[in-house]
Amino acid sequence: MNEAVVCVGLTRRFASRRLEPVTAVDGVDLIVRPGEFVAIQGPSGSGKTTLLALLAGIDQPDAGVVRVLGHDLARLSPAERAHLRRSSVGVVFQLFGLLASLSAGDNVALPLDLAGRDRVESRERAQDTLAAVGLGHVMTARIDELSAGERQRVGVARALVGEPQVVFADEPAGRLDEDNAEQVIGLLARACREREASLVLVTHDPDTARLADRCLGMIDGRVSEAVHA
Amino acid sequence: MILLRHALRTVVREPRRTVATIVGSALAAALLVAVLAFGLASGTTATRRALADVPVDAQAILAPGADAAAVTQRIAADPAVVSSLAFDLVHADHATLTGAAGATETSGTVIVGTDASYGSTTGLFPVSAGAPKPGEALVSRDLATNLGAVPGDTIRFQLAGGGTADLRVSGVVDITGADLLLGPTDPAHRAAGANPPTNVAVTDLATIRAIESKVPAGTLATDPASSAGGATGGAAAVVASEPAVRRELQLRYDHNQLPGDPTAAAKWLDDVRRRIERDLSGQATIVDDAQATLEPVASDLAWGQVLFIFLALPGVALALVLSRFAAESEAEATRRHAALLRARGATDRQLATVFVAAAGIAAAIGVILGAVAGTLLAVVLVGPNLAAAGGPTADVGLVLGCAIVVIVLAVAVSATSLRSQLRDEVATGRRAIERLRPPRWQRAYLDVLALIGAVVAFVALGGTGVHPVLNAEGNPTISLSLAAFVAPFLLWIGGTLLLLRLVTILTARQGLSGALQRSMGVAGELAGRNLAARSRSTARVVVLLALAVSFATSVLIFDATYRQQQRVDASLTLGADLRATPTIQADASATASVAGPGVTAATPFADRVVYVGSEAQDLLAIDPTTLPTATYLSDGFFKGSTASAAMAALASQPDAILVSSETATDYSIVPGDHLKIRVPDRSGKLGDVTFTMAGVALEFPTAPKDAFLVANLSYVAQQTGDGRITAILARTSGDAGAAAAVGQRLGGDWSVTDIGTTNARLANAVTSVDLGGLVAIDLAFAVAIGSVGITLYLLAGLSERRLELATLVAIGAEARQIRATIAAEVAAVGTTGLLSGLLTGGLVGVTLLVILAGVFDPPAEVPVVPGLAVLVLVAAVGAGAVVAMLIAVRYAARIDVLGALRER
Repeated sequence: MNEAVVCVGLTRRFASRRLEPVTAVDGVDLIVRPGEFVAIQGPSGSGKTTLLALLAGIDQPDAGVVRVLGHDLARLSPAERAHLRRSSVGVVFQLFGLLASLSAGDNVALPLDLAGRDRVESRERAQDTLAAVGLGHVMTARIDELSAGERQRVGVARALVGEPQVVFADEPAGRLDEDNAEQVIGLLARACREREASLVLVTHDPDTARLADRCLGMIDGRVSEAVHA
Repeated sequence: MILLRHALRTVVREPRRTVATIVGSALAAALLVAVLAFGLASGTTATRRALADVPVDAQAILAPGADAAAVTQRIAADPAVVSSLAFDLVHADHATLTGAAGATETSGTVIVGTDASYGSTTGLFPVSAGAPKPGEALVSRDLATNLGAVPGDTIRFQLAGGGTADLRVSGVVDITGADLLLGPTDPAHRAAGANPPTNVAVTDLATIRAIESKVPAGTLATDPASSAGGATGGAAAVVASEPAVRRELQLRYDHNQLPGDPTAAAKWLDDVRRRIERDLSGQATIVDDAQATLEPVASDLAWGQVLFIFLALPGVALALVLSRFAAESEAEATRRHAALLRARGATDRQLATVFVAAAGIAAAIGVILGAVAGTLLAVVLVGPNLAAAGGPTADVGLVLGCAIVVIVLAVAVSATSLRSQLRDEVATGRRAIERLRPPRWQRAYLDVLALIGAVVAFVALGGTGVHPVLNAEGNPTISLSLAAFVAPFLLWIGGTLLLLRLVTILTARQGLSGALQRSMGVAGELAGRNLAARSRSTARVVVLLALAVSFATSVLIFDATYRQQQRVDASLTLGADLRATPTIQADASATASVAGPGVTAATPFADRVVYVGSEAQDLLAIDPTTLPTATYLSDGFFKGSTASAAMAALASQPDAILVSSETATDYSIVPGDHLKIRVPDRSGKLGDVTFTMAGVALEFPTAPKDAFLVANLSYVAQQTGDGRITAILARTSGDAGAAAAVGQRLGGDWSVTDIGTTNARLANAVTSVDLGGLVAIDLAFAVAIGSVGITLYLLAGLSERRLELATLVAIGAEARQIRATIAAEVAAVGTTGLLSGLLTGGLVGVTLLVILAGVFDPPAEVPVVPGLAVLVLVAAVGAGAVVAMLIAVRYAARIDVLGALRER
């Protein structure tokens, strides 16, 4: 029971008035151990992002169970799920997910602010975390003043600032050029390893997936066994 | 055709944008239609109220030797005539009563003959003591007072031409409608404003006919004021050229046939008059009392309607601005749709055509719905009057014109934001933070220029004494009133733009988010940062709300002051809240009897007709120590002085007198000068009394317009030996039953009138048009516009920030924190808009009052701020903001987080 993430028979269907119902995630079983870096690789539309949203408690499954750090997400209230994400989970988005109205530092400190932490302390933590991803100088910078690579590193810093035990990353290098992609994925993997945090990363890029401890394939909502380890 | 199909598809596929455009144009159209309908209905109100106070609609004056039976038959046959009553009038040179103590005499007397049903049919000449008896006469209070006559006495009337008539007094009658019924009938003399006789005897038709036979044909009445040493009592003289005998039929028309519009009603009356006169072939001349009454009403109403529309115009403009919010609230959808069509080969021109046509279709739907809603609202508020005015279809051209203008404006307003949306690429437009160059008006300082223009217009029109709404003849004119609106219009425009500039600067600064963060934590900070990021949109919604509140506040202040001045006008005419008039001889000691429940103060009052040279004027004899507590005195009543100073001057010097401005100018007198005035004694004989001029009174209770003098009652009584009073004026505590209670305390020899009755009688004046309906319409729309504006602003913001909201949820924001963020935005926008609106509304309201001071008689000294109504407005706007917040919270809660995160 000390796995970081466990899911059993996880299923998510989407109904549409015009189209046939789509099963985006189809009976997925998955275990992620503490400190493990798991990559889920698959083509666009295979259900990777939906799976990640289910694991992070952002979306609710139609069937199956998800346990994160021992918590059965179905048994938690929306507020408890939000608390879990704030305190123990980090999320990195393909589109960076930064609030344009906030500075880089304020974006990083946002999870701490939402958790009600002291403002001065949260700014210090944000500054430290930004420095850890090589962006100690952009604390007060506006988001539109940063390059795409810098923005994603700010996104990574925000995911790490709360010292999470699990990080979910959705195509974090999907919008970056090759050099930046390599830097960001390397940074994310290294940071999680240093913090002994589990990392679940979905990607369509085999090269990115290769960096993981374990790589799973995903096609039409189903997860296959390790593509390579 | 293809483009039209695309436009229709756009209307259907972008429901939120379509609904918002419909709501904006519907509100504008509904407000415009409701206000226009109110204007039409107010015509009916003005017409009805004006005619309600006319004792008879027309007088058919019979020519000498006319066949009365034939004239009566022809008139009765006219479809417009409901009733015709015979009314004969004979002027007497003077009347004498001989009793044990000697003979008393009074001049300027008339004898009136009516049939027995006259009183019950017309409601005129109510008997206050005794009863009518064949061959005898009821006498007016003034005649009874001046002669000391009581029922049973016999009065001898000296008729023009040398004859006499003796009539035994059977009772006392109240003379009502004397101006029209007893005054001169030819227009020239009426225009001269001659006072009607007040020494009146009313008898039956057989008796008056017998008296008429004693007057030689063609004899004219004499003017007693011009005869040396002639005694007079009560009132001024009859004009000299009036025939000594007048026979007439008094007509009452069927008012149900009268159009509501005063101009149309006047034409209808004119048509009836011409028709009857044509058929009578010179046997009678119609004096159209009703039409004469309606003449000023038509012009009053014309500028009144301009005022109504001006008061509502800001609301129409605000409703149209909602169309722009509508366009902005769905900017994302528009950009995506445009990109799709562009990818399929659509040109910029075709895109513009599709979206403008879609906006036009939505605006047209909105205008139709709005016109229906506005009509329904008008029917609910002023339905019966609207129907009498010809209904909402009274001017189809006007309604259609308004509809087209609203559609064009709504499309134009939508198109301005569409242009920028269609220019932007989807990706660049998606999350662009507004850091645009300031708009052209800001760079040109149009706000400052408009405010300077307002000050210049205010000084030019208001500060130089130009009367904005009354022409030289004292009638309102439209051209001047339109010019009077320039200053408030420029103030409104300038204030709006300046507010927009200031709020843009304020919201763009970090201070706002800092303040919100300190008070509301992270939710406040997020709200503040979002308001700053959307500073231009934020400024627009704050200004929209501010203007809606300002619009409502200025209307409320105007209405409250308007109502207060109505009351002051009525109070000025009546003299106080309540007026008790004796039908017997009474002196100041009777004032004590008025005191009691419902009355807070009372003062004795006497009105004497006196002569300054040969000019008859009213001398108002008062007690200056008690009058200020019992009546309403304004500082504006006194030239170069205040009410308290003027009363103190009278109290400190017994022979002090206040004169009218005309008298001071005509006789070149200044304070300190002595003035010799002929004042009647108890017998009515005029004697010289010397007064010392103490100041100039422009207005005074009971004498709002005529030339008058104000002096100490005690001094007048001492000098003339006549301490009789003509009324007791009292201030009430607002108790509706006060008049009845005072009537009971004083007994049956007094008639008591209160301010409510007077208010109704003055209802044909400009200030008596009830603005209540218009205020209700304007307030409802102001609140609706403010609420819809905030809702659209919030929804547009949430729509733009879907990804940000989804991100917030994904990183652990709870629903309550999202709700708090939205609440903080609403609180910041609502508070800023509300406070700015109350401030600018107060300024516009005060400016309107200053510019339109001529509307009020007397002008308002200070504007009235209706505290309770403003609180209700604040509460209503607050409730509207809460509804907007709940809609936005519901929208935010329904955002598909996963869907938003997957959007590319």
